[in-house]
Amino acid sequence: MGVIITPAMVGQVVISGLLAGALYSMVALGLALIFGVMRVINVAHGTILMLGAYTTFWWFQLLGINPYLSLLVSMPLMFLLGVFLQRSMVHRVVDAPELSSLLLTFGISIALVNVTQYAFSSDVRSVEFLTGSFLVGPLALSKSRLVSFAFAVGLTLFAFWFLQKTKLGKAIRATSQSREVAMVCGVNVQRIHLYAFGMASALAAAGGSLVAVVVAIQPEMGQVYTFKSFLVIVLGGAGNYPGALLGGMLLGLVEQLSSLFLTTQVSEAVAYVLLVLVLLLRPTGLLGGRST
Amino acid sequence: MRTAFRSMTGLATALVVLAGSWAPASAQAPIKIGASLSLTGTYAALGQNQHRGYQLCAKHVNEKGGVLGRKIEFVLYDDQSQPATGVRLYEKLITQDKVDLVMGPYSSAITEAVANVNEKYKMPMVAPMASTTSIFKKGRKFIFMVQSAAEVYLEGLVEMAAKRGLKTIAIINEDTLFPKATVQGTIELAKKNGLQVVFVEAYPKGNTDFSAILTKIRAANPDVLGAATYFDDAVAITRQMKELNVNPKMYGVTVGGDLPTFYQLLGKNAEFVYGATQWEVELPYPGAKEFLQAYSMEFPGRDLSYHSAGGYGGCQVLVEAIKRAGSLDGEKIREAVLKLDINTVYGGFKVDPDGFQISHKMVMFQWQEGKKVIVWPDELAAGKALFPTPPWTRR
Amino acid sequence: MKRAFIAALGVLLVALALYPITATGYGIRFMLQLFMWVALAQSWNLISGLTGYVSFGHVAFFGTGAYATGILVATHGWHWMPASLMGGVAGAILALIIGYPCLRLKGPYFAISMLGLNEVMRVLVSYFEGLTGGGSGLSLPALHASVQIYYATGLAAVAVTATAFLIITSRFGLRLMTIREDEVAAEAMGIDTARYKLYAFLLSAFVPGVVGGLQARDQGYIEPMAVFPLLTTITMIVMALFGGKGTVWGPALGAVTLFVFQELVWARFLYLHQVLFGAIIIVVVLLMPRGILGILQQRFQLPRTI
Repeated sequence: MGVIITPAMVGQVVISGLLAGALYSMVALGLALIFGVMRVINVAHGTILMLGAYTTFWWFQLLGINPYLSLLVSMPLMFLLGVFLQRSMVHRVVDAPELSSLLLTFGISIALVNVTQYAFSSDVRSVEFLTGSFLVGPLALSKSRLVSFAFAVGLTLFAFWFLQKTKLGKAIRATSQSREVAMVCGVNVQRIHLYAFGMASALAAAGGSLVAVVVAIQPEMGQVYTFKSFLVIVLGGAGNYPGALLGGMLLGLVEQLSSLFLTTQVSEAVAYVLLVLVLLLRPTGLLGGRST
Repeated sequence: MRTAFRSMTGLATALVVLAGSWAPASAQAPIKIGASLSLTGTYAALGQNQHRGYQLCAKHVNEKGGVLGRKIEFVLYDDQSQPATGVRLYEKLITQDKVDLVMGPYSSAITEAVANVNEKYKMPMVAPMASTTSIFKKGRKFIFMVQSAAEVYLEGLVEMAAKRGLKTIAIINEDTLFPKATVQGTIELAKKNGLQVVFVEAYPKGNTDFSAILTKIRAANPDVLGAATYFDDAVAITRQMKELNVNPKMYGVTVGGDLPTFYQLLGKNAEFVYGATQWEVELPYPGAKEFLQAYSMEFPGRDLSYHSAGGYGGCQVLVEAIKRAGSLDGEKIREAVLKLDINTVYGGFKVDPDGFQISHKMVMFQWQEGKKVIVWPDELAAGKALFPTPPWTRR
Repeated sequence: MKRAFIAALGVLLVALALYPITATGYGIRFMLQLFMWVALAQSWNLISGLTGYVSFGHVAFFGTGAYATGILVATHGWHWMPASLMGGVAGAILALIIGYPCLRLKGPYFAISMLGLNEVMRVLVSYFEGLTGGGSGLSLPALHASVQIYYATGLAAVAVTATAFLIITSRFGLRLMTIREDEVAAEAMGIDTARYKLYAFLLSAFVPGVVGGLQARDQGYIEPMAVFPLLTTITMIVMALFGGKGTVWGPALGAVTLFVFQELVWARFLYLHQVLFGAIIIVVVLLMPRGILGILQQRFQLPRTI
């Protein structure tokens, strides 16, 4: 029992796809950073996003602080958590086979999720702020998604500016191109790893804070975003930072359009089938791997 | 080599000892009631609610001196929202922990899996949180249903809509056992009441973005939207309906709309939403007021949903059956349960010979000014439905 | 020494074969699921422990086998024994279809593509509702055959362990391990790496399919969320790693230790047992990446084929 699909409907879901895609891009950029400099796949990325979301929730709930302002709290907080995780555990598996880092970060992830469940319970929470939408002709533009989109784009551009222009950013890019060369050029690679993990976690936290305003949150919400970030960085080419942007937007669009033309159920599979196709036809991702 | 040999034999002994050991129960010990619940995993929030119902019931029964002169005690495990784990744990409860009786787990899916275990040991199981009809209509003799069937969750919505002359309905659902049963039932009810079903689609468990599905519903423009939900999705759908300006004249959800958190999360946006529920605090069931009081004393700040009351009520049913049977024998308790016709905190309890519930009543409420006002069925209604639901732009 | 080991093994097998005589229902189900984990960890080891290709979606074969068996039993009235063998065949066919393209992917890309495979399988099973029951799950007619399934699962565990032994002591195994150490070098040595990887992959997919089928029969009810969980993949990996990946006995040892530990811990920490599981994973990865047997091997210079 379907409905006839009109251009207005396509327009509507394309907008939804782009709005969601910008968030995916930003979060996945974090994962790409870690993968770029360390070749580590961080399965706990979505968990850090979840913690960022809870930070925003509690600031809003207890202190009534504007959820967008709480980015100023959640990002530094998760930056520190990222640095701590890298310093205490992850640095020991940087050169190990990928199995070690996959498992280690998974272990960190379920421990953190379970602690969160215990501390905050599994009850679903949400930040009701800026609900509703602007109506433009046949299209409805969600206010909270628009603002989240703007923040995501802004933060992503800032991250790119940082990577391109600052000394630290250049060192990060150099490390992800070739660790040996970076070392020879006097880059302290260990420190770069710390910064990369911290920055990545801050980006995830930003994602969490922005997601908290858009959908309800709960302790197990993170895994979905980890998986989506996997998809994004593989689509765009792992370790390729502009690729993460493209991948995020693409994923947002594919999800929405396949939900429209097929069903929401099937859209999950469509994204993965696309992933496998890209891997097989262009194993280095759409924009090619590693280059920056 | 030697180490390996030792560890192998050690292992063998350990395994055999571990699997074969149990502690014999003494006569004066409390009556042990076993259950596993979803305390972690996807059903955690609702499973935890049910857990609180069990805990409170045990406390109250014991304060009144227990049953058959013995106290009752729950032996409880976490099945992580996984049917396979549930099966193993019920097997453990029955054959290893030697519990005297069992109560049901959370969710239809897990109950469907563990029902084969208690059936095998002829141990009666009162299953408060399973409402999919098929579970009880397979010839099983030792499982008893406490609440109304999944298929009739949205009966109130459909009936009210038909009475007001509405013509079309769209139905969406999470793609799992219980919501799917609700959808099938709702389609039947819609046909019977002369409503045309214009759109049906399932979404996967854990879905958070409903933009595409709601865009399609907006295009189908139904008079009524019914959603067979599990809470997270109920919140997300309501919110995204506003964002996408989807305006049915009536919109109702199944599970989750009744939780106080639903209104806390959505605020004014929850107004006019209809919710199906098995139970409400203000329904005039015996002991409901005391239950509410005790609950907020015992678990301050925690959600109270029908799952807690159901857990409590189911436990009451079991205790009453033990009392009437005068023994812990499975067959005798089964006989007693089949003869019961009582009212618990949770409402009426009477089952047919299959253990299928025939007395419990479903109700439909509507959020009005931050309160759940019961609007269906007429004999339990506390107020009138605000109809039609105004479009989002005019609220 | 070797003779003593074989004798101990014999005693263990006889004890396990006789166990159902005295066992409680829970004892049977506990051991049955223990066998299942041994078989799963061993199977994962065949592809990932030996070739280094991390299958991060191995539960896909388990789930596929469960559904193949479930459909044959529930809809076509098959006996569960041939049906669960067909479950294994279904797993192997899936491995053939997916393995041919995906085994060309290296490192993390292979891991992620396997993760994707699992998600796709889950969606497909939900989608083809007429065949699988979709999200409502599939109920098999009631049957109490736990004891027979105990033996069948035990047999699967023994068979896959024997296979592991045969492979690791053979040239085939050496070739696989060469691929793990350096695939380019292996190719240069004239090893047809694609073919060997595919063989290992097929072998490692068959038994999870069988075990999935046996589980489906024993549980009597399966649903997409329950037979394709990521956690199952992770658990089998951690078990193999804990005991010692790439060894014959490591995965079995890891499965037994962890499963017994989990079962004992579960009851005591209703809300916090997952933290413990996470902590175990972290400790294993950081402090004993070679696993128990790996450490023993190193310290006592045990043979490679243990």
